[in-house]
Amino acid sequence: MDKNKMKKNRGLTKNGPLLLIALPGIIYIFINNYIPMFGVFLAFKDYSYIKGIFGSDWNGLNNFKYLFRQDALLIVRNTLLYNLAFIVLGTICAIIVAILMCELGNKFRVKIFQSSLLLPNLLSWVVIGFIAFAFLNSDTGFINNTVIKSLGGKEVAWYTSPQYWPFILTFVYLWKNVGYSSIIYMASISGIDKSIFEAARIDGASKLKQIKYITIPMLKPTVVILTLMAIGRIFYSDFGLFYQVPMNSGALYKTTQTIDTYVYHGLMELQDVGMSAAAALYQSVVGFILVVTANAVVRKVDNDNALF
Amino acid sequence: MKNFKKLLVFLLSTIMVIGLVACGGKDSDGGSNGDTSSKDDKKEAYDKVVYAYATFNNIPSSDVLETINEEINKITREKINVEVELLPIAIFDYSSTVSLALQGGDQIDVFQSLGDFNNSVSSDMAYDLTDLVDTYAKETIELLGDDFLNATKKDGRLFGIPTYKPYALTPMVVYKQEIADELNIDMSQVKTIFDLTDVLRKVKEAYPDMTPLVPVQTGTSGVNMTIPEVDYLTDDYFSPKGVLMGNDMTVVDYYGTDEFAEIAKLARTWYEEGLILQDAATTTSTSTELMSAENSFCYVASYSYPPEDTAASISAQVGGIPLGAVQIGEAYLDTTSINALTWMVSSTSKVPEAALKFLNLTFTDPDVINLIIYGLEGRDYVLSEDGFMSYPEGQDAASVPYTAQLSCGTLGNFFLMHPMEGTSKESLVWEEEQNQLAKKSPAMGFTFDSSGVKTEYTAVVNVINQYLPGLLCGSVDPEVMIPEFRAKLSEAGLDEIIAAKQEQLDEWLKNK
Repeated sequence: MDKNKMKKNRGLTKNGPLLLIALPGIIYIFINNYIPMFGVFLAFKDYSYIKGIFGSDWNGLNNFKYLFRQDALLIVRNTLLYNLAFIVLGTICAIIVAILMCELGNKFRVKIFQSSLLLPNLLSWVVIGFIAFAFLNSDTGFINNTVIKSLGGKEVAWYTSPQYWPFILTFVYLWKNVGYSSIIYMASISGIDKSIFEAARIDGASKLKQIKYITIPMLKPTVVILTLMAIGRIFYSDFGLFYQVPMNSGALYKTTQTIDTYVYHGLMELQDVGMSAAAALYQSVVGFILVVTANAVVRKVDNDNALF
Repeated sequence: MKNFKKLLVFLLSTIMVIGLVACGGKDSDGGSNGDTSSKDDKKEAYDKVVYAYATFNNIPSSDVLETINEEINKITREKINVEVELLPIAIFDYSSTVSLALQGGDQIDVFQSLGDFNNSVSSDMAYDLTDLVDTYAKETIELLGDDFLNATKKDGRLFGIPTYKPYALTPMVVYKQEIADELNIDMSQVKTIFDLTDVLRKVKEAYPDMTPLVPVQTGTSGVNMTIPEVDYLTDDYFSPKGVLMGNDMTVVDYYGTDEFAEIAKLARTWYEEGLILQDAATTTSTSTELMSAENSFCYVASYSYPPEDTAASISAQVGGIPLGAVQIGEAYLDTTSINALTWMVSSTSKVPEAALKFLNLTFTDPDVINLIIYGLEGRDYVLSEDGFMSYPEGQDAASVPYTAQLSCGTLGNFFLMHPMEGTSKESLVWEEEQNQLAKKSPAMGFTFDSSGVKTEYTAVVNVINQYLPGLLCGSVDPEVMIPEFRAKLSEAGLDEIIAAKQEQLDEWLKNK
């Protein structure tokens, strides 16, 4: 017993300074991420400004009802499918870009390409929304006015034709994010032991074969971790992308409405705190379940790469 | 020695941590309370009231705002023993900022309900003023009268004071005078929205590159403002749900009415002939931006000022292009037209009496209200001999240090504000008369409490956002879309909303 205690104490004295250094981060996480969790009560309350969070009346599951009404299925489908597409295409494109970058060799060229690929990531969605608008505007847009006209086609009213938007949104998403996510893969690639490539070269492996048999398998842990983390957020959508880029056009809701925009639209008019909390709780719970499931699957298939 | 080293490490890391935490603390302090804390020390004797209002102009810098506060305080310290802090908030942030501030415990004592009177009341944001008004806001109560105050009551209790302004919104066409003159179009012959089609065609014929009609804002071509005698029963014309038409006390589905079908058809005609901006349903440009451009001719909107004044005031906003305006419908007052802009004392206020006293001044004291709206005379505006306000030489609304001029219809008592150069004092008389003369809904004073049908509301609002702009701007075919729209609405729960409205309305009629 005493021995155990001493051991514990030794651990504390040994790691004390380190723990202290971590303390600001821990406090930060606690204040920002844990304390607000008490707000979860709000999801089950009929919020009143006078009575406050704990004093308000209980409301059962009423706040959740609107999330499961009518278009709920369509919205859940949109959110999930877009996010799946983003995860799959985003990963593939990011890896391709990362590999190409690493093969460029010349530092100067890499810098130029990397900066220009990163640039879209620094733009806000509002700006990107208007760039897209400059292309798609039906009266003066570049695509209708220049591309379609010169090809002799018929003008398209982009902002009222929902069928095109899954492609437009995916394209815009990739354009904005690929540069950024490729950085992580570039880092992993440069972390691969150079001697492996050298050995492969001596054995006569071509560039493509090196990529196929060395680079990609070596990237697997990174891919798994990033994908698992992305799956945790699969029930959230990038609000800016789905709100700003389609210019919040009602006619496009069929293909652009996601859980976040639905909640936003519905609650703009009602401003009900409880219902917003309910939406957030719903999203986190589903996200949590998905992460745990995905991790369990990974653990079954390949135990080394599982997150926990 | 070894111990000393350990101690040193420990101390250093402690200092680092404390330093970091302290920095963090200071940061968050500077954001919210930094400006106010220093001032708190000075005033012990006066109650401090924070007055949050929406501004459509630039947000002034804090030292400019301080000068206005000081001027107002000179008056309020003496008259009501209160000190005031103005809190201008940009219009698009207003509702969310106020509701977050109240939840977060920041001090806001006076605020306005932007279109959601009922919601503010049912979520307990508003202080029950019934017992206070007779003592602290007597003049205001007398000024407004019972008719208007009924609109801000719920279950017989008073929860706010409606802004006193011209309430009656009259639908008008605002057009470019030069084009009308050049093409010899007699706009005075345009009496209804349906007369407008021929005018638009004439303009399109003369200028094929022109978009004759632009939307007043996203998805609002203005056609639905001209349907006569609609009481939206606490919703507004951006998203009508169950409505009353004329004197019939049956709540009806707005989208099932013949009137709606007709205006949707009209909008479709315009769209197909290229008479309306093709992007009208989605464009985020406002009518002022669109009218400033050369390729537009007119737009339809509702204003509370006489047509000539409306034209003059909008002309000033679009770079001086000469404009005309013609009335194409009659004003109609329902409860929402009165209580859409209601001043409330927040339920979290620690000084409700002081807040109400100050609110009273914004309705009765010309000096206070003119300071809030125009700022300091001489610096922010000049007054002509006959009492008209204009900006100092070479300045405009965007360059003066302080102005909230575009909020004129939302603050306290509109009729006490200096009229702007270019308007006439007769108009003020006209407007005050209109308030009394305009036709009033038989359900005047009734407000609908949507808290029982929140779920349905959320779903219905989403459906309306999806279909209404397209129908009002003609970009979808009403023959196909109206039935689809109505089916979706019904699925989303519009019928429940209508039933709830009818039930509450019947109850209200019984107790009337």
